[in-house]
Formats: sequence, structure tokens, C-alpha cells
Amino acid sequence: MSPAGCSHVNGYKVDNWKQNLRVIYQCFVWSGTAETRRRKAKSCICHMCGAHLNRLHSCLYCVFFGCFTKKHIHEHAKNKRHNLAIDLLYGGIYCFVCQDYIYDKDMEQIAKEEQRKAWKLQGRAFCFLTENLIQLLKQGHLLSQCRHICVPFVSTGIGEKYTTWEPTKRELELLRHNPKRRKITTNCTIGLRGLINLGNTCFMNCIVQALTHTPLLRDFFLSDRHKCEMQSNSCLVCEMSQLFQEFYSGHRSPHIPFRLLHLVWTHARHLAGYEQQDAHEFLIAALDVLHRHCKGDTINDNGKKANNPNHCNCIIDQIFTGGLQSDVTCQVCHGVSTTIDPFWDISLDLPGSSTPFWPLSPGGDGSTVNGESHLSGSTTLTDCLRRFTRPEHLGSSAKIKCGGCHSYQESTKQLTMKKLPIVACFHLKRFEHSAKLRRKITTYVSFPLELDMTPFMASSKESRMNGQYQQTVDVLNNDNKYSLFAVVNHQGTLESGHYTSFIRQHKDQWFKCDDAIITKASIKDVLDSEGYLLFYHKQFLEYE
Amino acid sequence: MSKESRMRATVNQKLTEMGERERLKELLRAKLTECGWKDQMKAHCKEVIKEKGLEHVTVEDLVLEITPKGRALVPDSVKKELLHRIRAFLAQHAT
Repeated sequence: MSPAGCSHVNGYKVDNWKQNLRVIYQCFVWSGTAETRRRKAKSCICHMCGAHLNRLHSCLYCVFFGCFTKKHIHEHAKNKRHNLAIDLLYGGIYCFVCQDYIYDKDMEQIAKEEQRKAWKLQGRAFCFLTENLIQLLKQGHLLSQCRHICVPFVSTGIGEKYTTWEPTKRELELLRHNPKRRKITTNCTIGLRGLINLGNTCFMNCIVQALTHTPLLRDFFLSDRHKCEMQSNSCLVCEMSQLFQEFYSGHRSPHIPFRLLHLVWTHARHLAGYEQQDAHEFLIAALDVLHRHCKGDTINDNGKKANNPNHCNCIIDQIFTGGLQSDVTCQVCHGVSTTIDPFWDISLDLPGSSTPFWPLSPGGDGSTVNGESHLSGSTTLTDCLRRFTRPEHLGSSAKIKCGGCHSYQESTKQLTMKKLPIVACFHLKRFEHSAKLRRKITTYVSFPLELDMTPFMASSKESRMNGQYQQTVDVLNNDNKYSLFAVVNHQGTLESGHYTSFIRQHKDQWFKCDDAIITKASIKDVLDSEGYLLFYHKQFLEYE
Repeated sequence: MSKESRMRATVNQKLTEMGERERLKELLRAKLTECGWKDQMKAHCKEVIKEKGLEHVTVEDLVLEITPKGRALVPDSVKKELLHRIRAFLAQHAT
């Protein structure tokens, strides 16, 4: 069927036909408001048999609804010589002379606009009703009552509908002017590029390598999703966007990240200067600046500092922010006080530091889940995580005010993961800066390629406390499974050292990034390395 | 109209009025895409078009050809879930 439509529509395209067609779409095809929905529910039945199924169509010339399957609309068309009808399910226009659905450009345009309008309306209905809810809450109504009321008004919750991409004139022009296309095969190394060391900047280079190989971040920047609201030229997110363009340009010469370095010095003064800095500190500072710049101005219209990660939905928060649950249990009344704090990374203590570490014997619960090697009793990442999430007695010198006992009591504190981020970054605390000494802890910690975080979740702890001691490894529950995709290593001592990184390109292809030099690496190389920052990516992403 | 069809009409009215029909449609769409049903149907459509010839095939042809296969290939789990949702909705809004 040609996209020019059929000639029979010309008979219809007279007078106020556009408005009439819009009304039909709004009322009977894509009803956006409650009122149109009610009207649709009542009136959209076949005028001949009363059924609402059977591919109901509406005549375009008069008010008549008829089944398509039972040919009721066909009869009407023949009798009244009304040759056009619209499918109430999909909005397609049927021509009885051509005996097929036709695609008229003008009509298609109207259909698309009305569909989008209806979708938007469905979303707005929710906002309006939460306003109501807020009013009710302000008047002091009980929350249970509100929940009762809000149930029938829950939003359609469908979200933005997917439409296929249709290039604009300008985009077609650009595509024609730039005929070169890049093909991604399984072995191509696009996205890999060395970084020149500008004077002890290997700490920055490693983090940049890790970030440019974070899949979701890459997708965000390569699809131009950053809309800059900053007036000056100092937006770090824009610079990241540029960086991605450089990395994926296909150039094989190393990139010189001087602009990035300058911006980092501008926004994170404590990292300025040509001394060697801590890669972990740089990561946190970079994420912080990116997070702030993602929202344009740092001060929002309330005058409050828009720094609370809990209320932000920028790409950094979507990817990196998790929730850490801290439960403080009073030893007297066993009341639990819970707080949840956002986090971008998990800093893990290591054996050999001045804080005591309790190495757990291999074969304990959970150690076989992650398949780590226990070469001569070496510590594993899982050991560190188990230590991180163990209940800790706070001691008599650190009594907490208990809300239940109304007095200061001894308590235990336990950390668990409430919400896991899409990218989990583990920081092995190798640099000790205590009052007595400054040293680097070089204890080997083995880490796995695939990590299951289930034993460390707050929900797992709850089921353990409810007596379900045997944690059956749920093979079907994929929510907490992670894959390693980047490792940052530090060689040398506290005074003089060098950072390098391993990053994963495709499923099992790893590369070593040593500033400007990129070499292929084996999985063994990666897993045998010391490990300082470990980046894990969720294996399965759910819909919102 | 028989009692059953009257009941169907009432249920449909309620679902449409409250916007639940749209939600269920989208849920179904997502489920059928996830389980690969949509791709199977697409492939079958392509076969039919090849058979009938691109210039002569009509929407009707396609509908007639793929409807029986489409109905048969919907996984039971999807049917169960939709049914469950409808039941839950009706239980909530029983008059």
C-alpha cells in the first residue's frame, strides 16, 4: 500500500475534517482523560450486535460503530456509501473501495499527535491526584485512609511510549554529508584509547578508563542525553561527553586529557597539583562533580543545596548510588534503630591493617557461591564483605541513646545492603594513614569475575533472623548477580607508585591500560593482580 | 444479548473507565515482547508476505493467517498473569 494513501480519502478531506478526525481519535481511540474514557466505555459497542470485541471500527462519515470481524461495518459502508472507517484499537484507517488499510500522510500525522497527547495526559492525571493526596496529608488525615483513597487513582504508570526514530530533515542532511559508517564486530576495539600522563596523572587516567567502559554511562553519553544548563564552559559532564566522543572516534593515538585535568582542578581543589593523588579519592570527587553538574545549577529554586542523592535522578545516581542500611540493636531491649544512607562505593578493611580482621575459614557459608580461589588460605573479596556486614559490638565506651529504653545502652551495629547500585565499586583500603604509621597493605585479596551479593543484602539478613538459616542459592533470582568489568591497581609504595587498570571490552576480552599503552590481557592477569578498586556491573537490568 | 456477553460488556466498561484496560494492554505488550512472541509473529508475517507478494498482500490476509497461530503461541504464564491482574482489579472494584 503506497504511503501516499488512496484517492478515496479526498472525498473526506473537506471542511473541518482535521478537527473531526482529532475528536474521533481523542474520544474513541486513545482516550486520555477520565471523561473520554467513560464515554468510550459506554458508547463503543457495535450498533448492530452490541459487542465491544471483534475489531470494532467507527465510520468516519457518521456516528456508527460496527464489528469488523462480523462485517457489520462493511454492511454500513455499502448501504450508506461511507467508504472510510477507523479501527478503534489501533487507529488505522480502512478504505472499503481499496479493501485495505491505507496510509495517508496527513492522517498519520494527526494520529501520531493524538496518541502522544493521550500518553502525556495519562501521566498528568497522576500528578494531579498526588496533589490531592498531599492536601489530605496536610489536613492530618491518617495515612491508612489516604492509601485507601489513592488506590483507584494510581497512575496508568505506562511511562513514555516507544516510537521508532524518524530522522528530521537536518539529520538526513548530516547523514548524507557523512557517509562513513562504523561497524561494530565482536573483535573490534572501538572505545579503547590510551591516555597521556600529564605528570603523575595516572590516578585520573585509570578512573577515566573505568568510566568510559561503564556500559550505561557510555550509552548515556553516546546518545547525547546531557542537556547542559551551565552558562560557563566549565561543565564536567560536557567534558565527559567530549571524552566519550574522543574514545569512540576510532583514533588510535593516545588522547591528551588536559581539559579534563583543568576542570578537575577547578572543581576539586584538593586534587590540584602535580603530586600523585589517590585514585579512589579522584573517583568520588569526579562522581560528585558530575552529579552536581548533571542538574545544571548547583542551587535549585528552593535555595536549598540540591546535594541530597536521595532526591536526585541524574545518570550518576541511577548508575552508582546504592543504599547502605545500618541497624543499631540495643542490647537491653533488642529494639532496632535503622537508617539508610546512600553510597557510591564500599570501602573494605583488609587483614594486616591495624584494625583487627577476622579471616573466615574457607568452606564457610557463601564462599563457594562466588567460586573464588582460596590459594593457601588467602583472603577473598567475599571474606571482606562478610566482615563488612558482620554485627559489631560497639563497646561500653560508645553507648547509644536507645529510643525504647530511653537511656544510654550498649548496642551492636550491623551494615547490610538495602539497595544495590547498577555499578558497584569496591575500594580495598590499602593505604593506611593512622596516627602511628603510613603504609601500604599489599595483602593479596582474590576477587571473582562473577559476584553474587545476595548474602549481604538486608533482605537476606532478615530471612536469616527469621530462622531460615539455610540460604538456598536461588539460581533463578538474578537481581544480585554482578560481573567484573574494571580493576584499578596500584604498584609501588605510598611515596612513589603508579596506577594501571584492567578493563573489559567484550564478554571475555580484557585489556591493560597503562597510561598511553594499551595491551591485551588474560583473565588470569586480571584475577592475579593485587586489586585496589574493583568495578562490578549488574548482570541483569530490570525495568523501572 | 446473552448473560455472558452482558457480563463481558460490563467488565470491559469498568476496565476502560478506570484506565485499567490500557495498563493491561501495555503489560501484555511487554510480556509478549519479552518471551519472544512478537518476534515469532513478525517472522511469520514476513513469510506470509513473501508468499502472497508485497504488492498484493492486504492487512486482512495477514490477520487471517497469523491469528490462529498467534492465539496458540501465547505462553500459559502470560495468560495466567493477565487473568490474575483482571481478577485482582475486579475484586478491588466490586460493586
